[in-house]
Amino acid sequence: MSEKVTLSVNGHEVRVAAGANLIDALEAVGIDIPHFCYHPALGADGNCRMCLVEIEDGRPPIVPACKTPAAEGMKVVLESEKIKKIQRDILEMELINHPVDCPVCDQAGECTLQDYYMKFDLGDSRMDVAQVKKDKRLDFGGGVVHDQERCVLCGRCVRFTRQITKTGELGIVNRADQARVAIFPGKPLNNRYALNVVELCPVGAMTSRDFRFKQRVWFLKKTPGVCHGCATGCSITIDHHREKYKDARIYRYRARHNPLINGYFICDDGRLSYHLENENRLETPLVKGVPVTPTEALDAVRTHLGQAKYPLVVVSPDCSLEQLYAAQMFCLEHGAKVSGYSAAAIVAGDGDDYLIKDDKAANRPSLNLLGIDTSREYLREALGHADLVITLNNDPFTDGADADLSEMMKGITTIACATHHCEFFDNADIVLPIASYSEYAGSVINSDGVLQRFGRAVVKNRPVPELLELLHALGGPVADMGAAWAGMRTAVAPLGAVDPDKIGEHGMRLEGL
Amino acid sequence: MSGTEIFITIIRVGFGVFVPLSAVAVMVWMERRGAGFIQDRAGPNRCNVLGFRFGGLLQNIADAIKLLFKEDVIPGHIAHKFYFILAPALVFITALLCFAVIPFADALVLGASTYLMQAMPLELGILWFLAIIGFGVYGIILAGWASHNKYGLLGGLRAAAQVISYEIPMGLALVSLLAVYGTVNLTEVTQFQGRLLFGVIPMWGVVLQPLGFIIFVIAAFAETNRTPFDLAEGESEIVAGFHVEYSSMKFALFFMGEYIAMFVSSALIVTLFFGGYQIPWLNTQTLVAHARPVAVALMLILPAAAYVFARWIGFNNPGPAPNPAQRVRETKVYIAVVWSLVALIEVILLGYIVAGAGGAADRILVVWLQTAVFLLKTFFVCFVYVWVRWTLPRFRYDQLQKLGWEKLLPLALFNIFITGAVVVALG
Amino acid sequence: MAARVKQIKRRGRTFLEQLYLIEVIKGMGVTITHFLRNLRDNRNLYVRDYPEVKPEITSRWRGRHRLTLHPDGTVKCVACFMCQTNCPSECIMIEATERLDGVAEKMPARFTIDLLECIYCGYCVEACPMDAIRMDTGIFSVTGTSREDMVLELEDLLATPGGFAEHEQEDR
Ligand code: SF4
Ligand code: SF4
Ligand code: SF4
Ligand code: SF4
Ligand code: FES
Repeated sequence: MSEKVTLSVNGHEVRVAAGANLIDALEAVGIDIPHFCYHPALGADGNCRMCLVEIEDGRPPIVPACKTPAAEGMKVVLESEKIKKIQRDILEMELINHPVDCPVCDQAGECTLQDYYMKFDLGDSRMDVAQVKKDKRLDFGGGVVHDQERCVLCGRCVRFTRQITKTGELGIVNRADQARVAIFPGKPLNNRYALNVVELCPVGAMTSRDFRFKQRVWFLKKTPGVCHGCATGCSITIDHHREKYKDARIYRYRARHNPLINGYFICDDGRLSYHLENENRLETPLVKGVPVTPTEALDAVRTHLGQAKYPLVVVSPDCSLEQLYAAQMFCLEHGAKVSGYSAAAIVAGDGDDYLIKDDKAANRPSLNLLGIDTSREYLREALGHADLVITLNNDPFTDGADADLSEMMKGITTIACATHHCEFFDNADIVLPIASYSEYAGSVINSDGVLQRFGRAVVKNRPVPELLELLHALGGPVADMGAAWAGMRTAVAPLGAVDPDKIGEHGMRLEGL
Repeated sequence: MSGTEIFITIIRVGFGVFVPLSAVAVMVWMERRGAGFIQDRAGPNRCNVLGFRFGGLLQNIADAIKLLFKEDVIPGHIAHKFYFILAPALVFITALLCFAVIPFADALVLGASTYLMQAMPLELGILWFLAIIGFGVYGIILAGWASHNKYGLLGGLRAAAQVISYEIPMGLALVSLLAVYGTVNLTEVTQFQGRLLFGVIPMWGVVLQPLGFIIFVIAAFAETNRTPFDLAEGESEIVAGFHVEYSSMKFALFFMGEYIAMFVSSALIVTLFFGGYQIPWLNTQTLVAHARPVAVALMLILPAAAYVFARWIGFNNPGPAPNPAQRVRETKVYIAVVWSLVALIEVILLGYIVAGAGGAADRILVVWLQTAVFLLKTFFVCFVYVWVRWTLPRFRYDQLQKLGWEKLLPLALFNIFITGAVVVALG
Repeated sequence: MAARVKQIKRRGRTFLEQLYLIEVIKGMGVTITHFLRNLRDNRNLYVRDYPEVKPEITSRWRGRHRLTLHPDGTVKCVACFMCQTNCPSECIMIEATERLDGVAEKMPARFTIDLLECIYCGYCVEACPMDAIRMDTGIFSVTGTSREDMVLELEDLLATPGGFAEHEQEDR
C-alpha cells in the first residue's frame, strides 16, 4: 500500500494516496473532478482546463487537478463560485462550435460533454455568429468513423496512437477554431488496437463503424465478462440487450479496466469477437443431422454411453475451469479417457508483445492445472482403440497438420457438444448445443496465471444448457459450480486457498502454477 | 279430465314457463335502456330489422343469437366437466321452478270446479319458494368451484356466505308475515290482501308489515345477487366471479337465470306485500259482480291511454336520427299498430258487453284483468331492481355481512315479537 | 398568499344517514328524475349519434400517429429513439441506419408502432426533438381485422397526412 496523505476537499478531510494526481486521488474516495483530456492510461496533458480546482492559500491558487499531485495539508476547493464559473465557461467554449448532434450521436447517454453540460452548465447559447463547419463521417480506417465537429480536442486519441500503439497515425492539425483531429493523407488508422480510440474519446467524435447506429447505449445491459478471444483473457464489459419480441443479443464489448491483465484497453479482434456469440449458433440437438428434442438427444447419448467400452472425451481449452473439472469427474465416472489436445487454437506468429497472444484459447492453463493430458500422442493413442468420442466445445484439429486424427475419428461414433455450427460437428452422430461463454458463469485462468471469474451475461429466450449442467444430466457427479469448487479445492493444490466468492473483479494471480 | 281442465292446465303451465322467459327479454331491455336514461344516454337503440327497432328490444334478440352461435368453450383445466355444465342449468331451472307457485289471478271458478291460477297448484306456496330458491345458489357455488379458477371460487364462496347470511332475515321476515296471514298458500295470502283495513286502506302486506317488507326486499336483493349485493360477480374486483370461465349459452343460462330470479322475487314481493293480482278496492267478488261497468270503464280508459302512448311514440321515436324519413315511417307504423290493437280489444270488449256478459265470461274477464294487473305490478318491482342497481354502488364484503347479521337479523326478530304481540292481542 | 380553506362537513354520521334507507331513497330520487326527464323527451340525452354525427376533433386531440416530412419531402425522423425510450408501453420499435442523402446522418430503416399496445399518451410526440412524430392525423377510430393490421410500419406512418392545417397546429 502506498503512503497516505490527508487533505481537505471543500472543507472535509479525506485521506488519499500520496503522489497520485488530484483526479485519481479523489476519485478513489468517490469525489469526481470533471475532466476531458486526462486519462489514467495516457497521463495528464493539461489541455482542456476542465479540471481546474482552487487550492486555498496555494500558489498559484487555481491549478489543473490532472497535473497536481495530492499533497499533505492541501485545501482543495471544488465548489467555489470561481470554479463553477470556470467550468461553465469551459463548457460554453466547447459548445460554441459543437453541433449538438445528440439525437443522432452514438455517444449520447455516455457522453462526458453531455453529462457535464447537464451537471455544470445548462446555459443557453449566446452565440450569434455562424458555427464553424468541419468534416463529419470521416473514415479513419480500422473501423473508426470520425466527426470533427463533435471533437473537443482533448487529444486522447492522438496520445493513444503515440504512446500505446506507437503508430502515431493521428494528429491535431490547424489552430484555434480550425483545429481538428486528422490522419495523414492516405495513412488510415492501421493497428490492431484502433477501436480503443472510440472508447477513449470522451465525446462522440470517434464512433465505431461496427456499433454505429445499432443501438442506443441506454438500452444496453452491462455485464462484466472475460474475453475468450485469446489466452490473455482481457476483462471486458459485455453490452447486451433483448429487444422486444426478439432474442437477447450482444451489441458490443468494451474494455474493462484490469491492472492485472489488460489495463484499460483490448484489441480489436477481441472487441469484435462478440459477433461470434450472436451468429451461427447451434440451437437444436441433431441426431445424424436431423433435429430432435433435447430429451431424445439425451436419451440417445445415454444409450451410446452405456454401450461404449472405450469412451474418449476431448475437452476444449476454451471451457471454464469448472466445466473442465466436471468433465474430468464425468470421465472418471464413466471410465473414459480425457484429452485436452487442441492445436487448432494456436495461430503461430499472430501474437504481439502487448495483449495479443498466439494461443487463441482462453483457459489452457486450467488443463495443466487439472492434469488433463494435452499431448498429441496421448490423443492419438486413445483414438486408436476408442469406440465413442465425445467432444466438449472442441474443434480439436487443424485440417492440415491433424488430418490423420480427423481420419481416425471417421470410423468412431462421435458425440459433439458444441456452441456453434461447423462442418465437423454437423456430421457427428449426435450434436448437442451448449451455452457459450457469454451465457454461463465460470472461471478461466489466463496465460499469466490470473484466475478470473465472470457471471452469466446473456439469457437467451430459449437457453441451451451449460456444459456443466449437461454433463450432470448425463450422469456426471458434479452438480453445480459450488460442487465443482468444493471438489477442486481439495483435489487441486493451487486452488486450495482460493475462495471462489472472493475473487474480485480483477481476478487474482494464482501462486504455484 | 275434461277438455276445459286440460286447456286451463296448459294455460297455467304455459304462463309459468313462458312469462318468466319472455320477461327476461323485457327486463334486459328495461335494464339497458333504463340504465341509459338514468345516466342521460340512450342505451341500445340501433339494432333493427328493415328499419324497425322496437325501441331497442331487437338488441336482445341479436344478443341471444350471438350467444347461441358463439363457441362453447370448456377450458382445458376444468376437471369436473359434469358439474361445470350442471351449474348453469341448476341456476336456470331453480329460478324457473320458483315461479310455479305464484298465483297470477284469483282462483277461477267454472261451474263446480275451482282452478288455482298458478303453474303448480301446490298448497306449499311460500315454503316451496324458500326451498327452491335456496337451491339455486348451489348452481353458483358449483360454478365457482368447478371453474377451477381463483376468481370463480371467490365468487362462489361469496355467494354461499351471502345466501346464508340473508336467508335468515328473509325467513324471519316471512315468519311474522305468515303470522299475520295465517297461511302459507299464496292464493290465500293474496285473497287476504283483497280486504280493506278500517274500510279504506287495502290490507296489503306492505301496510301490515312495513318493517317486514323492508327486510324482505333487502334480503330478496341479496338472494338474487343484484346490486348492491352483487359481490359474487364483483366484476371490478374478481372480474366476473363465478361465471368467469363460462361462455356462449352456458353463460346465457346464468344470465337468464339471474333475470328470472329477479322476476320471480319481484312476483313474490308483489304477491306478499302488494296484493298480488288484486286491484285495490276491487276484489274478485266486486269485479265479478260488476263485470259490465268494468268493461265499459276499460273501453274508455284504453283509447285514452293509447292516445297518450301514441303521442309519446310520435314525439320520441323519430329522435335526432341519421335518416329521419325512415324513422318517421317507423313511427307511423308503430302508432298504427297501437291503434289497431286498441281497436281489437275494443271489439272484443264490445262483443262481451253485447253478447257474453254474465256467468263464466265475467270470471274469465276478471282473470285476464287480474293477470294484467299482476304483470304490471311485477314489472314495476323489476324496474325498482333496475333503478336501485343504477343508483347504488356495491357493498363492501364486510359491510354486507354486518348489514345482514347486525342490522337485519335483530330487526327481523324484533318484528316477530311485535307482530306476535299484536296478533295475540287482536286474537 | 393565504391558502383558501374550505371546511367540508363529513357526511354519513347522523342517525338518519346511518339508517341508509333515507339516503338510498334520496339517491333513487335523483336517478328517477333523470330517468323521467329522458323518458319524457329523449332529446334531453347527452348523446351524439355516432357514427352519423362525427365528433369534432381539435388539433390537440391525440389521434393516430404519423411521421412528418421535411418541406422537400424527405423523412424528418433521425431515429434518435427518444420516442421509443419514452414510450411507457414500449410499443415503438425502431431500427436505425446510416443516412446518405445529406439531410441527416441517421434515419429509421424500420419504424413500427404497435397500436394494440399504444395507450395514446402522446409521450412520443413530446419526446421527439425533430417534431417528426405527431398525433395530429385526426384519426380517432383505429380498427383492423387482424393483429397485423394494427401494426403500423414506416411507410404507413409517412403516408398519412396531417389532419389539420399548419395554422391550427400553431394555435396550441
Ligand atoms: S458528442 Fe455528446 S454532446 Fe456532442 S452530439 Fe454527441 S452526445 Fe451530444
Ligand atoms: S476525437 Fe475524441 S479523443 Fe480525439 S481529440 Fe477529439 S474528443 Fe479527444
Ligand atoms: S402515444 Fe404513448 S404509448 Fe403510444 S406510441 Fe406514443 S409514447 Fe407510446
Ligand atoms: S420520431 Fe422523433 S423521437 Fe422518434 S426516433 Fe424519430 S426523431 Fe427520434
Ligand atoms: S483533464 Fe486536466 S486539463 Fe484536461
